[in-house]
This record gives sequence, C-alpha cells and structure tokens, in this order.
Amino acid sequence: MVGDKLRLVIVTPERTLLDEPVSALRFPLYDGDIGILPGRLPLIGRLGCGELKVTTATGEQHFFIDGGFVQVLGPTVSLLTHRAVPVANLSAAEAEKQLAAASARVAKTDEEIKTKLADQQRARRMLALATHR
Amino acid sequence: MAKARKIIKRLKAVRNVRKITRTMELVATARFKKAMDRAVEAAAYTRKISEIVADLSQTMAGEGSDFTHPLLQQRESEKTAILLVITSNRGLCGGYNGGVLRLTQQRIREAKANQVDTKIEVSGKRGIGFFKFQKIATAASYTHFEDKPTFEQVDELASRYIDSFIRGDIDRLDVAYTKFETMSRQKAVVETLLPIGKLQQTTVAAAEKPKTTVEYEFLPSPREILEEIVPASFKARLFKCFLDAGVSEQIARMVAMKSATENADGMIRAIRAQYNRARQSQITSELSEIIGGAAALE
Repeated sequence: MVGDKLRLVIVTPERTLLDEPVSALRFPLYDGDIGILPGRLPLIGRLGCGELKVTTATGEQHFFIDGGFVQVLGPTVSLLTHRAVPVANLSAAEAEKQLAAASARVAKTDEEIKTKLADQQRARRMLALATHR
Repeated sequence: MAKARKIIKRLKAVRNVRKITRTMELVATARFKKAMDRAVEAAAYTRKISEIVADLSQTMAGEGSDFTHPLLQQRESEKTAILLVITSNRGLCGGYNGGVLRLTQQRIREAKANQVDTKIEVSGKRGIGFFKFQKIATAASYTHFEDKPTFEQVDELASRYIDSFIRGDIDRLDVAYTKFETMSRQKAVVETLLPIGKLQQTTVAAAEKPKTTVEYEFLPSPREILEEIVPASFKARLFKCFLDAGVSEQIARMVAMKSATENADGMIRAIRAQYNRARQSQITSELSEIIGGAAALE
C-alpha cells in the first residue's frame, strides 16, 4: 500500500477542480489541520473551512476550501467540497463584507448562533488568507 | 403577375423562418454540449458521495448501529408536500415543457384525491405561465435557473427544503423534471427527493462498487459524518435534477428545431413548384392573349 506518490482529486458539485499527483497536502478537518503524506491509512473525515496547501513536484498551491468531506483510499485523496477557490482569486473586500454581514446578523436561537459563529469563522479565515498571501 | 408575386412573398417568408430555426438548432447544439459537459463533471461529485455513503453504511452495519437520519425517515402520514416543477424559461423546444406539465397535473390530481396539501413551486417562465393560465396557485416561482444553474443557487433552495422537512412543515418533496437517460431518450418524471429513499440510495451505491471492506479511520465518528453527508447527498441530487433538466431542454430544442428546419425545406420545395407552375400558366395565358389580339387584327 505504501507508495511514494499521492493523487489528489478535488471535486466540487460543479466540476472536478484538480486531479494531479502530489507529494503532500495539508487541510483543515472539522477540529483542526491534518497533513497527509503518501502511505496514509484509509480515512474518511469531515472538512472544516480554511486553507488547503498542496505540495507538488513543481511547488506549492494554495486553495480555500469550505466544508465537505475527505476520503483517503490507497494513494488517492478525494476532497469533496462545496467550494474550492485558489487563494490568489480570493478577494479581501468580499471576505470583509461577508464578515460584516455575519456579525451584523442577530442570532436568537442556538441554531442561529451556531451558524452565525460558523459564518464569522469562515469569513475570518478567508480574510486572513486573502490578506496574507 | 398577382398570383406569382404572392407566392414569391410566401417563399421568402418561409426561407426566413428556416434561417431562424436553423440558427436556433445550431445554438441549441452548442448549448447542449456545454450543459452536457457540466452534467458529466458534476456526476463525479455524486458518485464520490454515494461511494462514501456506501462505505459508511457498511462500517455502521458492521458495528451494529443502524443507519438513521431525519431526512431518511418516511413519515407515517403524508399531509403536506412540495412539488417543484422544473420547466424552461424559453419556448420553442417541442414537447419538453408539455411533458413535465402533463405529469405535474396528474400528480396534483392524485394529491387532491389523497388529500395531501401540495404546495407547488415552479422554476421557469413556461411553467409559471401554464399555472397562471390554469389558475392553479403556486407557492413560489423562480426564473433565475437558466441553462447554467450554479450549485450555490440550488444550495439555497435545498437548504430551505431541508429545514422545512426537518421542522415537519413538509412531509415530502417531489420534483417534476425531465430526466436525461441517453442522448436520444429523455423522460419527464416525478421523483421523490425527500425523504431520501434509503434502500434505493444504498443499493445504487453498493451495486456500483462490489469490493472488499476497507478499514477506514473516521474523523469524527461515522454517525457525525453521516449527519453531514445526507444533506450533502440530497443537495447533489437536487442539483443533478436541474442539470438534467438543462441538458434535456437543449436536446428537446435541438430536435424540435431540426424538424422545423426540415419542414421548412419541404415547404420551400412545394412553394417553389407552385410558383413555377403559376409562372408558366401566366406566360401561357399572356401568349394566348397576344396571339388572340394579333388574330383579331387580321
């Protein structure tokens, strides 16, 4: 099972964004970052939102991913996410606007507070990525 | 010359119509190719989701815990339902809208007979016009799903359905749309998306991948992943309905415009023959008039 290469497949509902061999990658799970190296045991996990760092033979690529699932099976890593945007395409102004909108929302029930916090966190991470690239 | 002139005018009109239908056919072909590409690309997501669901259910069956989720549960009595009708914004696509709307009417009658309070939501101007004409009240209507529905648009709709289903506002969600089966076959269907047919989903996924069990590590527990993946799978399904409808619409338009062009070709041929005959008879009558005139002078 141990190979020296990983294959990363990023699938969004609209299309397959990326399908290429990589040497390592790092992305957020629901409770923190996880790094995947070749030879990882099978895994199914829930993604959080944040930065996906892909290390390939030619260099590094950065994406912003927003929730979804990951499946590691053999050398193949499949990331199913609602949205994956290359960090270079993120706009800080847009993220700020989202953060402001999320913060301004009045949350009354537990459910609303939870989504508000999640939205705020997502916008903050997006903002951080957009400004520090 | 009066009759021949009239025929020429008609010939020109038919020729112009032919130009339009021919262009529409070409446009529909190009759009169909794009829509098809999108549908094929989107299929990867649905496939992956069902793969993970299959793996999850296998593991959970192994652990002896059952596979339940609010979205999977069949309600004992179905009192309220939403029927989402997906039609096109534009006409001139043959029986595409007719097929879906006919089926919808049938479903509405059934629902009335079973005393299910069905709210109707329509996407597409054609459907909206139809229900207005039939004086059937619609709960909501959308016209922003063009031939390129984005996931974000569908997501918004899907989240609302999930919420109201879990809250218990609706017991069932049906979608009437044109399912894309093959290039030459599209069928108008009414599918029940909520509750998600549990058996159907797992058997489809299981049939796809008859493989040995893999020992997965689950982060977090399978149950929590399941809670997230069931809504995702529903969203992917609803999205697929819209994509299918888009592809089918373009195919329907392509076929309709193709036969319209062919029909125009036939008409042009017939009119041209008619014109030639009229012209001939006109010349003959003029000739005989001249000859008659000349004979009278002698």
